[in-house]
Amino acid sequence: MTLALPHAGTAPSVKRAVRRADRPARRAAFLLSLPLLAFLAIAFVVPIAALFTTAVDNPETRSVLPDTLRALAAEPSAAVPGEPVFAELAHDLARAGKARTAALLGKRLNYEIPGMRSIVMAGSRLAAASSQGPWRQKFCDSDPAWGDPALWAAIRRNGARLTPYYMLTAVDLQQTPSGGLAPVAPEQRIFLDILGRTLLVAATVTLLTLFLGYPVAYALTLAPPLLGAIMMLCILLPLWTSLLVRTTAWVVLLQSNGIINDLLIGMGLISKRLQLIFTRFGTVAAMTHIQLPFTILPIASVMRTIPVAQLRAARSLGAPPMSAFWRIYVPQTLPGVMAGCLITFILSLGYYITPALVGGPTDQMVSNFISVYINRDLNWGLASALGVVLLAVTLLIYGLFLRIVGADKLRLG
Amino acid sequence: MNAPHTLPAPPKPGSPEAIADATSFVRFERVRKSYDGIHFVVEDLNLAVRKGEFLTMLGPSGSGKTTSLMMLGGFEEPTFGHIFLGDEPVERLAPEKRNIGFVFQSYALFPHMTVAENVAFPLRYRGIKGTAAADKVAKALGMVHLGHLAARKPCQMSGGQQQRVALARALVFDPTLVLMDEPLGALDKQLREHMQVEIKQLQRMLGITMVYVTHDQSEALTMSDRIAVFNDGRVQQLAAPEMLYEQPANSFVAGFIGENNLMPATVDATEGGIATLTMGDGSRLQAPNPAGVAVGAKARLAIRPERFFIQVGDARGPLNILRGPITDMFYLGDHVRLSVAVGGDKPVVARIPVSQRRPFARGETVTLGCAVTDCRLLEG
Amino acid sequence: MTVLGLSPYAEPQERLARFGLIVFVTLVLLFLVAPLLVVVPLSFSDDPFFSFPVKAYSLRWFRDFFGDDRWMASLSNSAITAVFTTILATTLGTMAALGLSRPSFPFRRTVNAILIAPMIVPVVIVAVGDYLLYGHAGLTNTRTGLVLAHTVLASPFVVITVTATLATYDTTLTQAARSLGASSLSAFLRVTLPVILPGVVAGAVFAIATSFDEVVVALFMTSAEQRTLPVQMFSGIRDQINPTIMAAATMLLCVSTILFVVVAWLGARGRNL
Repeated sequence: MTLALPHAGTAPSVKRAVRRADRPARRAAFLLSLPLLAFLAIAFVVPIAALFTTAVDNPETRSVLPDTLRALAAEPSAAVPGEPVFAELAHDLARAGKARTAALLGKRLNYEIPGMRSIVMAGSRLAAASSQGPWRQKFCDSDPAWGDPALWAAIRRNGARLTPYYMLTAVDLQQTPSGGLAPVAPEQRIFLDILGRTLLVAATVTLLTLFLGYPVAYALTLAPPLLGAIMMLCILLPLWTSLLVRTTAWVVLLQSNGIINDLLIGMGLISKRLQLIFTRFGTVAAMTHIQLPFTILPIASVMRTIPVAQLRAARSLGAPPMSAFWRIYVPQTLPGVMAGCLITFILSLGYYITPALVGGPTDQMVSNFISVYINRDLNWGLASALGVVLLAVTLLIYGLFLRIVGADKLRLG
Repeated sequence: MNAPHTLPAPPKPGSPEAIADATSFVRFERVRKSYDGIHFVVEDLNLAVRKGEFLTMLGPSGSGKTTSLMMLGGFEEPTFGHIFLGDEPVERLAPEKRNIGFVFQSYALFPHMTVAENVAFPLRYRGIKGTAAADKVAKALGMVHLGHLAARKPCQMSGGQQQRVALARALVFDPTLVLMDEPLGALDKQLREHMQVEIKQLQRMLGITMVYVTHDQSEALTMSDRIAVFNDGRVQQLAAPEMLYEQPANSFVAGFIGENNLMPATVDATEGGIATLTMGDGSRLQAPNPAGVAVGAKARLAIRPERFFIQVGDARGPLNILRGPITDMFYLGDHVRLSVAVGGDKPVVARIPVSQRRPFARGETVTLGCAVTDCRLLEG
Repeated sequence: MTVLGLSPYAEPQERLARFGLIVFVTLVLLFLVAPLLVVVPLSFSDDPFFSFPVKAYSLRWFRDFFGDDRWMASLSNSAITAVFTTILATTLGTMAALGLSRPSFPFRRTVNAILIAPMIVPVVIVAVGDYLLYGHAGLTNTRTGLVLAHTVLASPFVVITVTATLATYDTTLTQAARSLGASSLSAFLRVTLPVILPGVVAGAVFAIATSFDEVVVALFMTSAEQRTLPVQMFSGIRDQINPTIMAAATMLLCVSTILFVVVAWLGARGRNL
């Protein structure tokens, strides 16, 4: 027992003295982890910050049409601007044609108004070919789109340093000309679908691993030492095996002329080979296989701490075996179930390799689309915006995990 | 609560009394320790350890004794106050610069080193190498009768053997002061009693100063030259074992060291060092009053259970007499333990030697006698 | 005889449930292990098609693997990346774990959550972020960039493993070393480090495995020159899966089995100490 201080100094001064005495130890402890924290700040946090910046960055219009934008600012109310703006436009586009940056602008504006790529490229050629106005006349003659208020609204909007466009697109929204928000046309609504699909696949995989893993974890607590060690080996070996090797194995298993089809035909269950690879079934099966150890281990480690005597006590108090199991045992395993399921759900959200190799076009998850937009479409803004959405969902669930389970409860093997 | 009113005021730093205590070797001066800035685990510790003595810090868990030892060893820093080793203040000195041997409750043997390597560990930091080091290691291990196990790893040894290695390691570099934190706590009773004697003999033979922490009072009484009884972060009494038992300074010490009947009483008069008391049930008893409890004050009368006897016939000499029915009794081989309801809120416990035993029965009224000089009046 | 801890007096209903449990668990364990075992025989099959049963065995796909410059280059790329990643991640992660496990560490929960985050954040996000940022820094298509990214991904494993080891470390060992004359650095080097070494090595093995297994960042960050083994395999499976990939997979399986055995052995050793 300790006593509240009765004399010599008031509480604040004591607190200060205690803190002063602790300071060297606190500093030493913190300094030890500082190198890793600093490293992560540079090599982990800054790249993610770059992702956020890229998701709202809007450099194309500002860098290609600087003079046009300045002239436009002088005519704030014009739906279609007058000759001075068109003259600057011709000047900017001619310069962009030489610097080969017109395509960048065309690509950027094309996201918002289909067909803008060719309109900008044609405009750039027009500006390069003629030396004399009237520019407004010449532009509108070459393509009536130059007289469309929507085009000029888009140029004005993209004169801003930041754009909400990518973030809105990533959740299937768009800006209306009046400045409000509206859903995009139904045929363009794909990203919420992809997010929903990602969550659905992750949830399915999580529930399947729980259904398959819970009995295994329970059996682990009942097994004698040697059998338990063998079971543990069966659980840990896949965990240690390269993800790519496991995915390769599933590619081989699921092929039309693969082993699963061979087996099913051999047993006479089917007569025609099933399409298993490039399907949702294949994706979920492979992901369940890969995630199963992650769900089993936390449950097993919680189950190990529940004394056998409790079930015996429940029985001695009159509970039938099943009732004792459900009412006494299962509730106590819930912390492990939460930990295992949250980890599997979080990790499943980020799957890329497995859906890419064993999934079909409709099984691709958010990660796969991010990769497509980075590597194939070179639409970094949209890729980053999708990344921000995925990160937000992941961090939300990580926050839940930290609240319910705690980062220090994570164990390996 | 238990203010240390029965203690003499500690000598002020630099005061004549402090300097006069030339034999003091370790001094705690107004040391206080708090971890959270709100509660003090050590409250105003003033304590001088004499050179060559075996001093035990005894107290219940959480009383501040281990924290005090850790501060002396250099593993904790006092929030306020000073600790002197010789004449040097050491409260900011790193532990490795204090030259103090420390034996930990968990032994803290290095698992990756052999016994000999463990014992040789402190020598390399003192520039002792080669055969000189080997000689010292052999001598230290011989001292604890483990010379033949020098090549073993700690995990291959029993708890008692590990304890001896820890002792050899703390003694090998000839420290002038050795601290021990409940070193025998993990051993079984028989081994513990054996080690108590052995440690005491070593300490006497080597003439080293030892500060020993334990919560086991019999261990403290067996080994110590002096015992500091800790409670609530304060030293309740610092005295030789016999003094603590016979003349406890306050109710806490009276109750903590050995068993005691502590009965509430009021002082009616005091004359010639003997006070006359009125007990809870109105009966009147007498007791020496060394603490000088004032007339009218509330007090506690302390009587040890073994000082009672069964009174037959008339009282001779100054005796206190208590009468009441037996509420409970246990036969314990060498004595019978009686609970007697004498009128207070709790029954009095008396240990009657079997030689005095006559058949007792529950409910039977007995008369307990006790010499006035065996009673003690405490503030309460 | 008792089966899985069932008493001989169990009721029929209980016996049935226990029997069901045994069958179910056996099937799940089969589901866990069987896919891994499919790879091995196919890699030794003489037949270029993935068919069972294997008719004739040969080492031709292993010869193909070792005879192909691209496979060999990717193998050496992976090995070099893994070595540097392991050194960096183990050093940084062990230091951080040492700090975190001191009682006086400030904001422990928050810092812990940050240090573990690279394990939680989808790899694609790390890959895209690195791709965008390292482009500016001139680190894309360099091994340095890949090593930095892999160190980020591997460090949480080291932190978790070493922290778990330190949780069982008796801090009075350090206090004892100090009381016997060792400075704090000397006490760390001569007492703490040797005692926690199995945990540190286990963390290093996790770091090797993480780097050797990583596809996504490597896919984003490397050109043909720095292509790692997993990237080579990934592209192979994507284009046209062939038995050489099976040979590579078999060898990766062997490597992970060895690493697994090392960690299991270290764990057993750590408990005995």
